[in-house]
Amino acid sequence: MSGSSTGHSVLDPRFAPPFPAAALPMLRNAQLRKNVAHATDVIQAKRARLVAEKSDWQELRSAAAAIRSHVLENLGSYLEEFEAHCTAAGGTVHWASDAAESRAIIIDLLRREQAGEVIKIKTMTSAEIQLNPALEAAGIHAYETDLAEIILQLGEGEPSHIVVPALHLNRSQVREIFARRMGLKDLPDDPQALTAAARTYLRQKFLTIPTAISGANFLIAETGSVAVVESEGNGRMCLTLPRALITLAGIEKVLPRFADLEVMLQLLARSATGERMNPYTSLWTGVTPGDGPQRFHVVLLDNGRSSILARTTERQTLRCIRCAACLNTCPVYRQTGGHAYGSVYPGPIGAILTPQLMGMQYAQSLPFASSLCGACYEVCPVKINIPEVLLELRSQVVNQERGQAARFGDLMFIAMKAANAIFAGARRFRAAQWLGRIALRPFTRKDGWIHSLPSLGAKWTQTRDLRGLPSQSFRQWWAARGLTSSLSSSKEGR
Amino acid sequence: MSTPAPSRQSILDRICAATQNLPQGASTYAELPRSYIRHGKLGAQARLELMIERLREYGAEVAECAPEEVPSAIAAQLALSGRRIFVAPAGLPADWLAAGFDWKIDRGLENAEIEQAEGVVTTAFCGVADSGTIVLHHSPSEGRRVLTLLPDWHLCILYASQVVETLPEYFDRCPLPPPLHPSDEDLTLGTPVVATYISGPSATADIEMTRIKGVHGPRFLNVILVRNED
Repeated sequence: MSGSSTGHSVLDPRFAPPFPAAALPMLRNAQLRKNVAHATDVIQAKRARLVAEKSDWQELRSAAAAIRSHVLENLGSYLEEFEAHCTAAGGTVHWASDAAESRAIIIDLLRREQAGEVIKIKTMTSAEIQLNPALEAAGIHAYETDLAEIILQLGEGEPSHIVVPALHLNRSQVREIFARRMGLKDLPDDPQALTAAARTYLRQKFLTIPTAISGANFLIAETGSVAVVESEGNGRMCLTLPRALITLAGIEKVLPRFADLEVMLQLLARSATGERMNPYTSLWTGVTPGDGPQRFHVVLLDNGRSSILARTTERQTLRCIRCAACLNTCPVYRQTGGHAYGSVYPGPIGAILTPQLMGMQYAQSLPFASSLCGACYEVCPVKINIPEVLLELRSQVVNQERGQAARFGDLMFIAMKAANAIFAGARRFRAAQWLGRIALRPFTRKDGWIHSLPSLGAKWTQTRDLRGLPSQSFRQWWAARGLTSSLSSSKEGR
Repeated sequence: MSTPAPSRQSILDRICAATQNLPQGASTYAELPRSYIRHGKLGAQARLELMIERLREYGAEVAECAPEEVPSAIAAQLALSGRRIFVAPAGLPADWLAAGFDWKIDRGLENAEIEQAEGVVTTAFCGVADSGTIVLHHSPSEGRRVLTLLPDWHLCILYASQVVETLPEYFDRCPLPPPLHPSDEDLTLGTPVVATYISGPSATADIEMTRIKGVHGPRFLNVILVRNED
């Protein structure tokens, strides 16, 4: 699998550079920005059309938010209910506290299956635990089977989107990867031919590799069933043909009852891909004699989720059903694409999920990678108030930094401290205005704009101009209006 | 067992600690708001027309026939397809297996044999008009999951009485709690143990968001809608 020269995945939050630094090369990559803009525009337009035709869209959102909140408030009992029913139906449930434990469980299960190869359905959770490099190290080759994941695996790239992971690549870039890695020199670059090449490449693997790994969109507590939502049929292949199946699922993925799918499935495809329904949804329960894998394991992954659950404002993060509508609508994601976030979960949901999954120890620049415009909240099918969580996480990051001695020598820290003092008193504020006017005068051009500032000020002026301070402040102007005019205006006000 | 028990307990303990001090008034399941649309408002004719329209939008082909015409309608579709080798689930009515074609009846067929078939004929459990979705519960006439997966062409016989307008109406038709040890009888009565919801032929939009029909699942979905309702 891919990785940077340091041997770490570029999407490992522990080693990723801060967002502003990571975003710069993306912003200078015109091809990438064009690809991302095109893909997100297309999905958004389709989504908007299909959402508009649902007269009960807001009611569906409210129901979905309530169901997901209810699950989180009763998570322990629903997980135990799922475990009991899945086990009774012939499945085996495993529990993993963190990424390392989940990798160890999966590798152990694969060894028992004597698997040298495994076919995989796209699962962001497996990317979260960095499963593929661990499998490779254990001598097990994983074949990704989702078209976008094949593109990334063969091209040694990283996912940049939760639903359409290769949206940063265009057809000629995909053609180049397939031609090189599949040995197809004359492959044309139309999507039809590229898709056909992927079908041929995988057909034999589906029929011969007897072990599969999947994620889960939903776990049903009432029945012990698992649901996987997909488009291509690669999911059905992996869920049906192998002898053994391992499903990796975050502990938050439970739904109370089978019928709760009537809400989730109406929201998910419309939000994710702008379709009324995704082509295939598969549901299975443990092991069904004569139909599908006869050995079935579920690995329930915590990996930081239970600590998110403990916090009132942030708990809503775990309602997420991974539709990626917030990515497509986000003015920041649309400019940078996904890689700048340094996480397998990019965009607004990634900006709140990633630092929390990392225990607020890494990815602390992500809560600031937002303009707080609120577009993500508006499109979220489970009504996660992402701006609210972003603000909460920002305050946590600032509080952490406040406690660090090193910050006392930091210019920004000193400036914020000073601003705090200045805004606290009218006299101090007036004095600061007077000082500021004098200090900024040398930088202000004739047209009244400041084009470049030194030091901290450069953080602003390197990307945009700043209006110079006017020669008279509002307070001065108000005072200069004179006693008579202020009296007459107050009479008018009566 | 490969899972050390401590992780199970420590995760459940952490969840318990995180959720035990929730403000009361936290929702019970029965109180959750469900003000979305349950029942459609269309008449029978409009509901079927919507189903047909939505199927066609996905690129599926739809034919219609009267109940007594099912065998001949199937024969006509098979002939039109230009294909010869078909698989059929063991529960498919015998008079639906049109003469002049090679039929492989699924009594435990190997995957390789199913892969060689050019098409498959099945029934369905339900059709949802709002999203053009065909629901399979994999009863004896709907077949094991693999039957409708490997062949490139799927002909599905859907009865008008099986078509509902909204997705919640489908879930209303699965009322019973699921059996833990399923038998065929359970499959036709209760909540499915395995189910597949099909909305058009397999597709992808992974390359430049261009929708391409037919990736790994069947590239062709044909539906015969049987008018068994007035």
